[in-house]
Amino acid sequence: MPLRKKIMDFIDARLGMRDILEQNLTKYLLPKNVNAWYTLGAVLLTLFTIQFVTGILLLIHYVPDTKEAFQSVQQVTNEVPFGWLIRDLHAVGSNLTVATLLLHMLSVMFMGSYKRPRELTWISGFLLFNLALGLCLTGYLLPWSQLSFWATTVATDAAGAVPVVGDALVRFMRGGAMVGEETLGRFFALHVMVLPLVLGMLIGFHLFCVRRVGISKPPFGDDYQPPVIHETFHHEEHPGGIPFFPNYAIKDLAVICGFLGLLVVMVFFFPNLFIPPTAFEPADPFTTPEHIKPEWYFLWAYQALKVFPSEVIGLAVQGAFMTFLALLPFIDRGEERRPARRPIFVACYVLGILVFVAISIWGHYS
Amino acid sequence: MDRETVPLAQRRSFLFIIVGAVGVVLGALTAWPIWKFLAPGKTAGKLEKISVARGEVGVGKAHFFNFHGRPAVVLQLKPGDFSAFSAVCTHLGCIVKWVVEKQEFLCPCHAGRYSAEGAVLSGPPPKPLESLPVAVEGDQVLIG
Repeated sequence: MPLRKKIMDFIDARLGMRDILEQNLTKYLLPKNVNAWYTLGAVLLTLFTIQFVTGILLLIHYVPDTKEAFQSVQQVTNEVPFGWLIRDLHAVGSNLTVATLLLHMLSVMFMGSYKRPRELTWISGFLLFNLALGLCLTGYLLPWSQLSFWATTVATDAAGAVPVVGDALVRFMRGGAMVGEETLGRFFALHVMVLPLVLGMLIGFHLFCVRRVGISKPPFGDDYQPPVIHETFHHEEHPGGIPFFPNYAIKDLAVICGFLGLLVVMVFFFPNLFIPPTAFEPADPFTTPEHIKPEWYFLWAYQALKVFPSEVIGLAVQGAFMTFLALLPFIDRGEERRPARRPIFVACYVLGILVFVAISIWGHYS
Repeated sequence: MDRETVPLAQRRSFLFIIVGAVGVVLGALTAWPIWKFLAPGKTAGKLEKISVARGEVGVGKAHFFNFHGRPAVVLQLKPGDFSAFSAVCTHLGCIVKWVVEKQEFLCPCHAGRYSAEGAVLSGPPPKPLESLPVAVEGDQVLIG
C-alpha cells in the first residue's frame, strides 16, 4: 500500500477527512453560470497571505523607533538581499489589495448578492474592507518618512472636527499633542498585532458565512429564477452545478495568477507608482512638505472634507455614506437581483462610482 | 496520438507531473528570495583590525571588546606584552572571565580553566581559546 494512502487512511479513520474534503471540494457544487467575479474572494485571500508573509519578513529588520525607523526601512530596501522585493511586494500589494476589495464589493453590489439571507456576509465583508483601510493607515506611518509623518498628521487631525470630543480623540489617536514616538508605538502595535488578528478572525467568519449560506446564483441568463426566501435557515444548493474542485478551483487559480502577474509587473516596472518622492526623506516635524496628499483610496475623503463649508459636515456626510453602505442589505430589501430590473439601483451605482472617481481626481489635482 | 486512445490514468499522471513541475519551479522562485533575505550577511573576506587604546588595558588586566560581532579579550601580562583571544569558551560557547588573582581565564558555565596563554588548564574545554594576532602602534593596540 503506498505511503500516501496509508497516511490518508490513518487520518480518515480518526477525523473523517475524506468526507470533509468531498463535501467541500468535489461534491461542493457551484451554480452553472458562476462567473470570474466570484474568484475575487480567492484572490483576496492570496493577497492577504502575501501581505502577512512579507509583513513578518519586514518585521525582522524594522525598528519601531523614531530615530531608527527610517534608516531601518532604507537598510531593508537597499542592503538586505531581496529586501527591495519584500518591501515593494508589501507596499504595492497593499494598494492592489484595496483595489481588489473595491472590485469585490462592487461586483457583490452589482449582482445583489448582499441581499437576504447574506446580510451577515456583507457586513463582515464591509468590516474587512474598513480593517484593511485601517491597516493601510497604520502601516503608512511606520517608515517614518516625511510622507508618513505628514499624511498621518493630516489624517489624525481630521478627527478633531468631531464635535465636543474631537481634540481628545486626536490626542488619543496620536498618544500626545503631535505625531511622535507614542504615535509610532501605537500604530506599530495596531498594524502588526491587533488589526491582523481581528482581520484573520473576521476572514474566518466571512468564509463561514459564505459556505454556510451557500454561493448565490449569478442573476444573469434567461433561465434565472429569483431564489425563494425562507423564513428559517436554508442552505442554497445548486444541483447539477459545477464542482468547486477541480473545475472552479482552476478558474480561481487562473485569476489569482493574473493578479500575481499584475503585482509583479507593478513591483518590477512601476514600484514608485504609489510612492511619492516625500517617502524617501526622513520625517522632519518642523518642515511640512508642499502638496502632501493621502493615498489614492483616501483621496475622496480628503477632498470631501475640503468641499464642505465645515469639517463637521464633511465628516458627517462621510459617516452617513459609510453607514449607508454597511446597512445596504437592510435598506435595499427588494428580492430582485437582476441588474436590468433594478434601474434605480444601477443608476445610483454608476453615479456613485463616477462621483468617487471624479472627487478622487479632483483631490489629487487640488 | 488520438485523444481517445490515451488512457485516462496516463493523461492524469501527465497532468500531475506537469503541474507538479510548474509548482516546484514557482516554489523555488518564491523560496529563493526569502532564503536570501533571511540568510545572515556574508562577512568580508579580510576583516578590519580592531583598535583598543593602550590605556584601557592595565598591566595584568584584561579588556573585553567586540571583535566583528564576537566577544574577545586583550591582555597585558607584562608592560608592553599584549595578547588577544576569542572570549568564547571552546566547550559550549559561554564567555570566559579573567581572574586577576590567579592570572587565568575561568568559564563560569562548567568551570573550564584556561591559562593566560589560552591553553586548557582543567575542565571540559576540548581545545585552547582561539588566539588573535596583536600589533601595537603608538598608543593603540591593533587586534586582527
